[in-house]
This record gives sequence, structure tokens and C-alpha cells, in this order.
Amino acid sequence: MKKRNLVTVGALSVMLVFTSCSKSDSVECHECHVAYDNNGVEIEVEILAADGGDDFCGTELETVEAPGYTHEIPQTIVGMDTVPAGFYEVHCEEHADH
Amino acid sequence: MKEFLVSSFLMMNIFITYSQTRGIVLDPNNMPLNEVNIFFSDQNILLFSNEDGEFITELDIPNNSYISFYKDGYSSKTLKYRSGGELKVILEKLHVILDEIGVVESHSELGNSKLINIEKKSLSSLNSISMVEDVAELSGVDMISSGLGIQKIVVRGLSGMRVVTYLNGMQINNQQWANDHGIGFTDLGLTEVELIKGASALKYGSEAIGGLLYFKDAPFTSDKLKGFISSGFNNSSYLSSSKFGVKFNKKNLFFNLYGQYAISSDYRLPNNTYLFNSRFKQNAIKFSLGYRYKNWQNIFRGQIHTEVPGIPGHVHVDPSKVSLTEITSSELNLSTDFNPTRPTQFVNNQLFIYETNYMANNFKFEFYAGHFINNLKEYEKWTRPAFDLDLSNTLLSPSLRYISDKLTLQLGSQFVLKENKNNINDRLVPDASSFNLGPYLMIEYEKDNFGINSGLRYDYKRLISDDKILDLDYDNSFNSTSFSSGLYYRFTNHIFRVIFSGAYRSPHVSELFADGVHHGTSRYEIGDRRLGIEYANQIDFKYQWSNDHLGIVVNPFTQDISDFISLDPTDSVISGYKVYNYMQYDKVEINGVEMNLHYHPHQLHNLHFEQSYSFLQARNKNSKYGLALVPANSIKNKILFKFNDYERLLKFDYFSIYHIYKFKQDSYAEYEELTDSYNVINLQLGIKFSSQFHCSLGLNNVFNETYTPHISRVRGVAGGVPNPGRFFNINLKYEF
Repeated sequence: MKKRNLVTVGALSVMLVFTSCSKSDSVECHECHVAYDNNGVEIEVEILAADGGDDFCGTELETVEAPGYTHEIPQTIVGMDTVPAGFYEVHCEEHADH
Repeated sequence: MKEFLVSSFLMMNIFITYSQTRGIVLDPNNMPLNEVNIFFSDQNILLFSNEDGEFITELDIPNNSYISFYKDGYSSKTLKYRSGGELKVILEKLHVILDEIGVVESHSELGNSKLINIEKKSLSSLNSISMVEDVAELSGVDMISSGLGIQKIVVRGLSGMRVVTYLNGMQINNQQWANDHGIGFTDLGLTEVELIKGASALKYGSEAIGGLLYFKDAPFTSDKLKGFISSGFNNSSYLSSSKFGVKFNKKNLFFNLYGQYAISSDYRLPNNTYLFNSRFKQNAIKFSLGYRYKNWQNIFRGQIHTEVPGIPGHVHVDPSKVSLTEITSSELNLSTDFNPTRPTQFVNNQLFIYETNYMANNFKFEFYAGHFINNLKEYEKWTRPAFDLDLSNTLLSPSLRYISDKLTLQLGSQFVLKENKNNINDRLVPDASSFNLGPYLMIEYEKDNFGINSGLRYDYKRLISDDKILDLDYDNSFNSTSFSSGLYYRFTNHIFRVIFSGAYRSPHVSELFADGVHHGTSRYEIGDRRLGIEYANQIDFKYQWSNDHLGIVVNPFTQDISDFISLDPTDSVISGYKVYNYMQYDKVEINGVEMNLHYHPHQLHNLHFEQSYSFLQARNKNSKYGLALVPANSIKNKILFKFNDYERLLKFDYFSIYHIYKFKQDSYAEYEELTDSYNVINLQLGIKFSSQFHCSLGLNNVFNETYTPHISRVRGVAGGVPNPGRFFNINLKYEF
């Protein structure tokens, strides 16, 4: 009985480990921005998806993250900084919430 | 007919009796010693002596098998088994244990620990924050890290591909060419690690010019069934880790099974902010299956390890110019901050090993086959990886050992096939394959208090890259000879060892052909196909002395490396990233001394003071700057009190205070900065609720010191990202 319980515990533990192995990385939808290097300070300019919302999803997300893709923005004021108009690489990763 | 049956029955009993191996372990007063670890290293089986000091095994142990006897507080002993005689072992009581190997005799995978400078560290997940931090307690050893998710070992100032890691006889290659790639496995199922510093590990390859670490699984059990479950938590990153292990045997069949799951959020800095994306997840499962048939032993091992570490400190501008607030969060969101974000690595490692040995008289024949597969996907974007690399490593290694009374000969060879393959067009390192052949011969002679060892190894390596995406057509071979020679002498309590060794390392494919952005290090890296072989020579001297209350180890060394390959910054920028070039320096010298002191007051036998010193100087003869990632000098102190005589009353097992002082580091590479000195103090309390149920409580960085180690992976980001602030951790373990 004791051996059977131990084997059961072992088997359940193995199942737990394996089910935990599945990639829980969710792509889903993400907000995106372009980044401007203002003398070593990174200035972010948020960009909008095709539907006017903040989130880029599915094919649209793949498009803006594709190699060589650049996004055009007009001259933009962010706080006290001015980001020149131009084409910039898009970044959709999260940043620290400070 | 009856006489025949009776005779046969008696013969069977005689056979069974003859097949047993039994012995007794005593102290110098002929009193039995119980719970002595008796390790049959050639059979990988561990027994324990009973209350009468006796041990018995059904295994038929061949002559000349090594048997090691170890009990905490006693001098360990290793002997060669001889059948027919009485196996009676006397262990001397020790008052002082030096760096866990104050004893001279112990079995080591890396060689004869009398004749070669081998250090060992027990790995106990109960007391540990992480395996790499455990190993870094050894003198001369440090770690590169950015939180618990990414950690690498540094030995005497050298790291990466110069420090080679073996796990149960197989080289683990978790893309060691970059500092954002960790060690590739955890301490799951491990019992200890052996370390050779510098270029002396001939049997396991010539490329370990910094050092070689050999991690070992716990041996098979002689008991029918044993196991454990354990759990750990810390309140810095809300790390939660669970493990289980089961070991059993039936007749000559042995089986070990382990599993682990760990998840961690971002870690908390001394200013109560959290380093964004220092989170990680780890899963692992491993098993070992052993079978003995007479003198023939077979072991099959399998392991799958996955990890998902975030890459903290990622910015799109010069990392040295950002402020700490841009890469830290003011608080943790426990519902989201365990989830992988970007950039993140997805690592999948699989390891398969088959080893067999056959012993007869004075000979032992071994054959080892291992296959390791590493897949690394590094995602900076959500939808596509920046690179997706498969690295496979196949090792075949036959060897023959001959043992006579005073002489040991080992002849063997390694055949290694490596293949590096990109699964997408984007790549930092090219597709490449290599074949390495390395025959070796080692001779050891011991007589009384004197010993000598000598070894020679020749390596031939062919490296081919015909990467169509990068338009590469490369085919080159490297060959050279490695050697190691040492002397050992014991005079009363004084032990002397001197080792002179030489090894070489051929350039890695990343050093030759890198050409692209490496998001994990925020650099644009460029290789140089003209790079040649690195050559290293080392002289290592070790002196040990101990009496009942005091032990001293002094270990000076000097190593010079010619054609040293380094990755150095330029003034150029590509795709917004600073360009780093691989280049070669004529000569680098590394000199240093390590010392250990252990004091044990006569009036308080349960109290131990341990102190270790590591001093290192690295000089680049071709540059006014020093070498990169050289750790600062350090003094490590440990006060340990064992509650042996009081544990029944208080349930406490031990209490320890660990203090590390790091000197300032003012010798650094061109792109590094001076690092100030600092102190860190950790406390730990062990509790023994019962013989089966243990707990440890730790309070780390007691004074909430704000410090960044010189070799931190994020030292160059935001002026240096600090290590975790004050936090507690708790570990529980139940054994059955």
C-alpha cells in the first residue's frame, strides 16, 4: 500500500512537471512604440494600430515586427523632447512600470 | 537424487554468501561508527554502516574497485578492494575540516585527489539559494549573473568557454560563448561538484584552460526505496521551487527519478524597486537506470531541462547612459509579472548518457556515450525570434585503467562531434560542425607519502562551416598537445602539491564568424576568421597543514595565456548598437593566491570559524587596460555553530553567519568602470523537526547593502544594477 501510494505520488509529480512544461508565453496583443535616441536618452512615441486602438494583434503584430519594417511618424513632441519626423523601427516589448 | 538436491542447495548458499561484500567501520578506539557513507565509486552505489559499524551488500565487488568511506567529523578514506580479506576500516576523528576536502583521500571523477589539486563542494538544495551561488563559495570562484535566472561560473578570472562544465561525464554546452546564457541545468538530483582550476583536466578535454567543473548525480541507493520532496520560497522575487526524488533498487536493477518546477518574478533591489524582466521559469525531469551483471555495469541517464529566463536591462540606447528608473518597476504585479515578456530566452536542453564498465583483476574497461541537444530561441519581438539555434554534442569515450599496487595507468580517447544549426535565416553565429579526436595517457605513482602524476593528451579538431545564408566556406583544423605533471609529498601534518600544466583552446565559431546584433548583450558583435589557438601554461602550488584545532591551505598560482581572444568595443555603431570586435592579444598573465583558514576552538567543539582569501591579478601585455570580467579580490568568512548536543532540546540543527568582503576593483577593461568595495552578510538557521523533516531559514543581505559585483552581467547598465536587497528564504525537505 505504501509503495503504491509512493508510486502514485511520483507519477502525479511527473505529470505536474510535464504539464508545467508547456510554453505559457502568450503572444496575443501588445502595445507598440518607436524609440528615438535623444543623446543617450530613449524617447518613446506610442503608435496606434489600424483600428485606432493601442493594441496590435495577430497579422498586424507580425507585420510591424517583421525584419526591415519601419513606421513613419510625424514630428512629435513628447514632454520636453521633440522627436523628428521619419521612419523608425517598431518595438512592442513591455517596459518597466516606474 | 536427494543428495544432489541438498548439495546443489548448499552450493547456491555458498555462491550467495560468496557474492556478498561485508565490512566494518571503526574509530581508533575500535568503537563502531554508524551512518558512515560507503561509496562504491566504480559501481556508483552508496551504502551506510549500521549501529554496529557494519555494512553488507549483495553486490559482487570486483578486485581493485575503489571504495570511499566518509562521515562528517572524521577523516575519509579511499581504498582498493581485495576480496578474501577482512574489510575493516578505521576512520580518524577530525577536528578541522578544510574547504570540505581537508581529508586527503577521497574518490574524485577528475582524478586522484592526492596527486591533483581537486576541490569539492557538496550541493544541498536545502541550504541553497542557487547552485551557482553555492559553487561560488569556493575560493577563487565567482559568478556572473543578473538575478537567479542567468548565472555563470568564473574560475580565477576566466569564464565562458574557458570554464568547461561536465554533468555526469557529458560536456554541457548551453551556448557558453555569451554571458547572457546560463549554466543550462540546476542542482536537481546532484550530490556534489568537483573543480580543477586551470589547465589540468586532461581526461575531459584540453579546452578548459580556466578550469573544469564536474557535477555528479547522487549515487544509486542500496535501500529498497528512498525519496524526498522539497520546496523553497524567497520574498525577493517570490521564487517558488518544488522538487521530488525517488530512488529504489531491486536485485541488480537501480533506478533514480527526479523532477523540478521553479518560477520566479523580478527581484527586489535595495531601494524596493524591482529589476524589470529578471524573472524566469525552470522545469526539469531526469532519471538514471543502472544494471549490474557480475563484473559488468551499465548506466543509462536521461534528462530534459527547460528554462525561460528574461533578459533584464534591455534598452535601445547606450545601456551605460540610461537611468535605473527606466529599467525598474516601482511595484510587482503578481498576476502578470511572472509571465515571460520581451526580450526572453527559451532554452530546451536534452541529455542522454550511456556508460558501461567491466572490471577484471587489475583492469577496468569503460565506454561512455553521451548526446546533448541544446535549443536556444532568443526573442526580442513577440512574433519571431532574433535567433533560433540548435547545438548538438555527441561524445564517445573508451578508456582502459590498469591498477597495480603503486601504479595506475589510464589510456583513453574522446571522439566529439558538434553541430551548430540555425533554424531561421536571422543568425548571429553560422551553421557549423566540428569533429574532435583526443587520445590521452595518464600515469600515477604513489608510494608511502610521495606521489607523482603525469599526463599527455593530443587533440585534433576540424571545424567546417558552409553557411549559405552568410556565404561562408570555411574548413580548418587545429591540433596541439596538452600536458599535466604533478608532485605530491606528505611530511607529518604538512602536505605539498605542485602541478605544472599546459593546454590549448581553439577559437569558437562565434569568435570566428559572429556578425550581427546580440540583443541579450545589447551589442553588435563581429568575429575574425583569422583567430588562432589560445595556449595556456599554469604552475599551481598547494600547501596544507592542520592540527586538531587549526587548518591552513595556501595555494599560489601563475598562468600565462598567449593569443588570448577577447571581445572589445570600438567607436562604431551599427543598427543603433555599439560594435564589439573579437581580437587576439599576444599575452595575458594571471597571478594569484588563494588561502583557507579553519579554526575550531577546543572549548567549543561545535563552533567553526572558516575564512578564505582570493587574490587575483590579471594583466594584458598588449593594452594599458586590464581584462574584462575579472572579479575583485575577496575575503569570505563563515561562522558555523552546530547544535549537535542540543538538538533534541531546541530542534535546531545549525546556525551560520556568512560574510563576504569584496575589495574595490580598479583593474578593468576599456569599457568597464571601477567598482567600489562592499560587504554582504547572510544568516542561516537549520531546523531538524525530525530525522526525516528538515527546514532552513535564511536572511540574506542583512544590512540591505546596495552593491553591484564587478562581474555582474548588468554592471555596465545604468551605472551598475544592484544585486538583491535584504530578503528571506525558506526551504523545506521531507525524506522517506
